Amino acid sequence: MRELGSRRKAWTLGWTVLAFLYAPLIVMAVFSFNDSEFTSLPFRGFTLRWYTMLLDDDRLLQSVWNSVYVALGVVALSTLFGLPAAIALDRYEFPGKAWFARIVLLPIVLPGVITGVALLLFYMALHLKLSLYTIMLGQGTGLMCVTITEVAARLQRMKKSTEEAARTLGATEWEVLIKVTLPGVMPALFGAMLIAFSISFDEIAVTYLLTGRQNTLPMTLWSILRRQATPEVNAVSTLVIVASILLICVGTWLSRRGSGEPVEAPG
Amino acid sequence: MTAIIEVRGLQKRYAGSVAVQNLSFDVTEGEFLSLLGASGSGKTTTLRMIAGLEYPTGGQVLFQGQDITNLPAAGRKMRMVFQDFALFPNLTAWDNVAFGLRLRINRPRVSAAEIKSRVGRYLEIVQLSAHAEKLPHQLSGGQRQRVALARALVTDPPIVLFDEPLGSLDASMRKVMQIELKRLHRELRKTFIYVTHDQEEAMGLSDRVAVLQGGELLQLATPEEIYAHPESEAVARFIGTANVLTGTVQAGNGGFALQLPGGARISLGNGPADLAPNQTVTVMIRAEQLRIRPAASLAEEGLVARVAERLFLGDKVRYELELPGSATRLTALDAGGTPRLGIGDQVLVLVEPSRVCVISPRTGAAR
Amino acid sequence: MSAATQAPWHERRQLLVWLIPPLLWFTVFMVIPYCLLFYYSLGSTEYMTFKPGFSLANLIRVFRTEPYLSVLLKSARIGALTALGATVLGYPVAFCLAFHTRTARAKFLIYLLVIVPWWAAYLVKAYAWKTILGTNGLLNALLLQLHLIHEPLTLFLYNQFSVVLTLIYIFTPFAILSIYAQLERIPTSIVEASSNLGASTFETLTRIIIPLSLPGVIAGAIITFALATGDFIAPALLGGSNAIMISNVVINLLGVAFDWPMAASIGIVVIGVGTALISVAHYLEHRSQARF
Repeated sequence: MRELGSRRKAWTLGWTVLAFLYAPLIVMAVFSFNDSEFTSLPFRGFTLRWYTMLLDDDRLLQSVWNSVYVALGVVALSTLFGLPAAIALDRYEFPGKAWFARIVLLPIVLPGVITGVALLLFYMALHLKLSLYTIMLGQGTGLMCVTITEVAARLQRMKKSTEEAARTLGATEWEVLIKVTLPGVMPALFGAMLIAFSISFDEIAVTYLLTGRQNTLPMTLWSILRRQATPEVNAVSTLVIVASILLICVGTWLSRRGSGEPVEAPG
Repeated sequence: MTAIIEVRGLQKRYAGSVAVQNLSFDVTEGEFLSLLGASGSGKTTTLRMIAGLEYPTGGQVLFQGQDITNLPAAGRKMRMVFQDFALFPNLTAWDNVAFGLRLRINRPRVSAAEIKSRVGRYLEIVQLSAHAEKLPHQLSGGQRQRVALARALVTDPPIVLFDEPLGSLDASMRKVMQIELKRLHRELRKTFIYVTHDQEEAMGLSDRVAVLQGGELLQLATPEEIYAHPESEAVARFIGTANVLTGTVQAGNGGFALQLPGGARISLGNGPADLAPNQTVTVMIRAEQLRIRPAASLAEEGLVARVAERLFLGDKVRYELELPGSATRLTALDAGGTPRLGIGDQVLVLVEPSRVCVISPRTGAAR
Repeated sequence: MSAATQAPWHERRQLLVWLIPPLLWFTVFMVIPYCLLFYYSLGSTEYMTFKPGFSLANLIRVFRTEPYLSVLLKSARIGALTALGATVLGYPVAFCLAFHTRTARAKFLIYLLVIVPWWAAYLVKAYAWKTILGTNGLLNALLLQLHLIHEPLTLFLYNQFSVVLTLIYIFTPFAILSIYAQLERIPTSIVEASSNLGASTFETLTRIIIPLSLPGVIAGAIITFALATGDFIAPALLGGSNAIMISNVVINLLGVAFDWPMAASIGIVVIGVGTALISVAHYLEHRSQARF
């Protein structure tokens, strides 16, 4: 029996923390319907006007699209370059491997601002104009390590014997990759893509420094928040949360179907 | 002989399946009892319910007459040796063994000096004194097994439970440990309850064997009894290599005989008292009880069969024999002496009537 | 795995196929920019233009001059408090997930429950706390209504407390998942063995579970520490002037103050510390893996 100690006591603590995690989100959602300028008691009345204001805001909608565009590009980049890196790290030994591994992991612990500054200098030196693409390149570099970590972990757990069997049957390296390695790595890869997409969508530190004229959603939100808060912001926030929830559910449902792997059951 | 553990109507039901049903038996104090069965037979679940690692959905477990059915594991006085040894990876062998003695339930009865002497003594008993300061991942499988054993024994529990402890060891290590365990049982005089799927192991080590299948108890008896007089076809098939045959009883001069479909006859001699002519019975004959001779070398009564397969196993030869006119095959284990037979040869099959064990009708299959 | 130095030619060629693209990428988009950073840190600014030089003065200034050193330390302190708070809050939930969920389905649902706040936009969460903690905010309104105070308190917002609180809130889901990953790896038989030997819940927890999970938990806490220290949203929205953190300083230096070399210097220092942190976290992860 894996249960350790009193179930009730453990879950009392657990639910308290979870309540703490959800309370602010629920507050935001509730007050997005509040017919009052202030996000505060008393609750004046139910209204949808903040939402309708939102839908008229073209700038916001454009920035949502920009964010999606950037996120898709980031996912593509990090997969394209991250997958080979993970394979190289897991399957081979080479001089300088430890340093390569370290470089690959560095962006995780670095403040996005620092990565942004370094890249900014780089772009300036190349006289590159800032745009959605500069954002993509910046975020991609950082999120590549997410892909690499996830995929490498999965590769490590995969049995090499299936690949070796394929080779003895005469498959070329390319065929082994497409037919054996890739399908095996798919769940982790898919998870990494999901994570990369969500982080990119929400990313602000690197974006802040590398944005050109077109804004992503976080940037737009940032400028709204810095000015003044009408409950319109609550409405945006609530919509963003709902969208996130929907995305997670869809994504998880898809990944469970695709991989065919059951979630690990308790011992 | 007192019963130290009593199991009454034990049941473990999961959503959609039943692991253990209506299990009742006693464990005699000081005995070595094996729970023998295939995987899924409920043997491990039963052991875990005795240990308190699972709670039954029905029935009771009694320890020295007290109902401990719902008592948490930590409060029970039985120690378990786990299948994967379950050594604490962050503690040395010494600390692993000393772990139980350092717990609150054992203080203040055990002083530091006593801990030291006891742990040292048990490490010596399992011959691991030299490795006391090693961490589990630095030990071999056999060494880890012995640490797990010492850890279970050091708190001097009246009962020690074993969950297939030798399963992950290689064959030679297993044989060594089996002898060790038997010796320990004899010297320490504790009650051992031992779960295994290896029938040779169960038979060789135990005072009594409980054969389980599908969550039910098929037979609980000494190894000799189970071997010679299995109470059901399932038990018969589980132990050793058994030939199970069904036929009709024929009466004749010289006693009863079993008429098999296809015409072959096996003499039953005077047989068990409750045989009646034209009764359908099922019998079991151990493979090593069958004697085979090349046919027509002697004019004795017996079955005629054809050799279908021959496997040389080193210390014995295994023959698969086909009976005429039926699909039934007999397995014979011949420990030498018979001239070499080849596939397709006709042989005479002989068996002592007293070695033919009638299984049914006598409550039949499962109990 | 084969040593590339001894492998046949076609295997080495295969390795290069995998290795070259990412290597190229990281060289272009990481190594070169960092080198540029270093180059800039060696220079100075004159009349709003960058003047290249070879002085380590800026780098030294990071450690010796106010306000840089104090901001660095304050950021590190906020980061440490965040890592600690998130770990402490996260452990109970991770514990429940690992030891008190009975079915795979329940585990999955709780897992989702933890992920959802993590996915919800960062800005939104920071803003939520701003509204709750402000003078016109929910907390004050509640306290006023309950007659616990007579006028709104300003001490909830625009200080280190609000920043730490918000950051703990942001990072708790990550802590939960990282601690859960550690706890889940502990085999059930070990927990059972401990109970079987007579240990109470407390004893099993303190002697087995926490020691076994600790290296991995700390590795996760280090990442939280690094991310929280480098954060600029929370201090910008909720920190006021009392809680300016290192990333805000860097942004200021790039914009209004126009001291690129200084910004670059801070960047270099942070990269150095970051590399050291990765090594430590990596080592701890390895140690916890080696045991099982």
